[in-house]
Amino acid sequence: MFDIIGKRFWYFLISGAVILIGIISLAIFGLPAGIEFGSGSIVTVKFVADVSQSDLEGELTDLGYGNALVQQTQPAGSFLIRTERLDEAQAAALKDDLNAVFGAFDGEPSSQDVSPMIASETRTNAVIAVAIAALGVLLYVTWAFRRMPRPFHYGTCAIIALVHDALVVLGIFSILGAILHWEINLMFITGILAVIGYSVNNTVVIFDRIRENLTKGISANFETVVNNSLVETLSRSINTSLTTFIVVLALLLFVGANIQNFVIVLIIGIIAGTFSSVCIAPSLLLVWDNKEWGRFLFWRKSNPAKA
Amino acid sequence: MSKGNIVVLALIIVVFGFGLWVLLPLQGERLGRTGLHLGLDLVGGVHLVYEADFKDVDPDDQSAVMERALITIQNRIDKYGVAEPVIQQVGNDRIMVQLPGFTDIDAAKSLVQQTGFLEFREVEFKPDGNPATLADYLGQTDLQFYETGDIDDRVFVGQNDLGKDETYGFLKYEDGAYHFEDAAGNTVAADALSAYGASVAWVKARGDSGTPLTGDLLADAYLTTTQSGQLQIAIEWDDTGTVIFDQIAARLYDPLGTSGAYTLKHVLGIFLDNTLLSAPKVNSSKFEGKGVISGSFTLAEAEELTNLLKSGSLPMPLKQPPLFEEKVSATLGARFVEMSWLAGLIGIILVMVFMLAYYRLPGLVASLALVFYGVIMLTLFKLIPVTLSLAGIGGFIVSIGMAVDANVLIFERLKEELRSGRTLGAAIETGFKRAWSAIWDSNVTTVIVCIILYWLGSSIVASAPVMGFALTLGIGVVVSMFTAVVVTRTLLRFVIHGGMVRHLAWFNVYRGKQ
Repeated sequence: MFDIIGKRFWYFLISGAVILIGIISLAIFGLPAGIEFGSGSIVTVKFVADVSQSDLEGELTDLGYGNALVQQTQPAGSFLIRTERLDEAQAAALKDDLNAVFGAFDGEPSSQDVSPMIASETRTNAVIAVAIAALGVLLYVTWAFRRMPRPFHYGTCAIIALVHDALVVLGIFSILGAILHWEINLMFITGILAVIGYSVNNTVVIFDRIRENLTKGISANFETVVNNSLVETLSRSINTSLTTFIVVLALLLFVGANIQNFVIVLIIGIIAGTFSSVCIAPSLLLVWDNKEWGRFLFWRKSNPAKA
Repeated sequence: MSKGNIVVLALIIVVFGFGLWVLLPLQGERLGRTGLHLGLDLVGGVHLVYEADFKDVDPDDQSAVMERALITIQNRIDKYGVAEPVIQQVGNDRIMVQLPGFTDIDAAKSLVQQTGFLEFREVEFKPDGNPATLADYLGQTDLQFYETGDIDDRVFVGQNDLGKDETYGFLKYEDGAYHFEDAAGNTVAADALSAYGASVAWVKARGDSGTPLTGDLLADAYLTTTQSGQLQIAIEWDDTGTVIFDQIAARLYDPLGTSGAYTLKHVLGIFLDNTLLSAPKVNSSKFEGKGVISGSFTLAEAEELTNLLKSGSLPMPLKQPPLFEEKVSATLGARFVEMSWLAGLIGIILVMVFMLAYYRLPGLVASLALVFYGVIMLTLFKLIPVTLSLAGIGGFIVSIGMAVDANVLIFERLKEELRSGRTLGAAIETGFKRAWSAIWDSNVTTVIVCIILYWLGSSIVASAPVMGFALTLGIGVVVSMFTAVVVTRTLLRFVIHGGMVRHLAWFNVYRGKQ
């Protein structure tokens, strides 16, 4: 049988590295807040002509919108232009100026305008939602595994896996934000929460199998129980991730545009979530049970007495 | 084959048939529902959130005032013929308006935010027979009204460079003292208005009992034209309005009638939101409840004004600019609808191909269950009805991927049971039973997240994408538990007990080769 769990410290290393890079990016670039969190205006335009992003950015700077952020979307010639809050006259003038330089729009532009008051309340509620979701998941997982020894361990490991997924997505988005001018908005938070739900779902299935195998008493050694459970559920874990991945990919390729960032969150989240469910959460459970934190910190060879 | 299984199978077929009947034709009407309900981001439209200005409203009256404001806005929008508008109170002091399919955001804003307060005023005269002006009031150190009986606010109207009437300032009573306000309603010092000293003071036109004549006393308003083709708005007063209007007319009318000169002595000013629309001379002493408002209107302006007068005034102003505004163009939306159906279709086909390739016969059964799932979901969307935003459709598509999760769980179990040597029938029953706790636990967490997401989406500005995603994903998870377990199991039992299965290879299980 495969030895999945034996390589647990490699998993920690991989995740640690990805998260570290993400945290460094977060520290340097931060997360650019979209208008729902930072207030301002967004105009979604599509030019008939094939306008390049750098030309558009240059023109906006000339027009006095040097702070404007431009994100290219699908199909070619489509852009999201994020500016400070514009009043009606300013918005109309901006559209006229852009038409004068780049030609007509293909269809009417869409626009969105958010006041600082709404933005700050949205921030607060997003934080509350994420906190309640995490707490809800912790309580439920703890409750679902209440008949196991140490149910709290299961809940905590599921939460750590969940925080892991959120950190990976946040870190990668911070990098994308710096390179492609992507901003986080309410749909980003929605994506994060969907990923959390999805990842916990996977983790729970694996924990469920550990619970079953423990009850069956297939081995006195916890490490063997965890590893067998992982192997038994591996094809399920991969297949479910694959089917979800397939549909999300279809969503990205065909719908893209306005929910592009959201779909990217889901894709990164599905990969991170599958990894954390299979590799991180059960490994943590085992490390906690074996109390082998020291082994990780000092990178000692495995202790034969424990194995 | 057990009788129970056949009954369940028959039920599933009936439900499936019912779903198809509801859905097809797609745009057709079934059970009072026509077509799928597409959200604002797909059909285009306007989404506005306003904050009410309760400055002049007693805190105890706020909820009642809010209710009246919602009804007024609803009336105004109804007359514009917007299909299925949403007008809702959000929190204590916010009003959210969604107008699907209506993309003229400027027209929408003026429709919603105009206070629409119609009142009638007359010019205030000094004892020497001349009209009181702003300069007269600015020059006073101790406030003395010329019309001593009326201590209410004054509106000062002058003429701008084009010779048109324009409101330049107000004298208002607030918190126990009088103060001047400029045209925008900001409190200013007296000298700030000195440039407009020639503006004339207007006081409220009142009946003998002191009740002012306002738009609240109107019974009806409609658009007409004069003989010369000029647009005017005919108004009809209710019983109280009829009496008061005639009392005022009796006081103001010019005995010389139409042959008399136009003087401010005989003029009744018609004010909408403190702007003088017109100041016709009163040529008759009795109107018996009817009158006209004339002015230099365009057709659109006249229609809008008529609509405002009919729907009544907002009981409080709305703060400018709106807290949140969004306009989605209809052209973008149409493209999204096609693309998202395509994405859904391709997603569902790819998932089926995968399931067939990997699980063979059970994969086929799961694919059938998936078709059933898709039809039931769309039927629910049509019947509830669920407003489908782009993200909502996204949630549905993601749920397709997750819907087969329960099947994957079950089939993996099934393979294990078969490998361990159970018979097909026994393996299926055990497989379903053993997989259930995992299916249940894992879906509960997703539902928890969906409920929280729905709250987050609805809490501030009723964000259609977030609510839509949470709703469709949530419904999807619940429905998929049913389809994956009940439908798949029933179909599998049917296939197996029908004696149609010859080789375990159909389950992608090769016993004994290992």
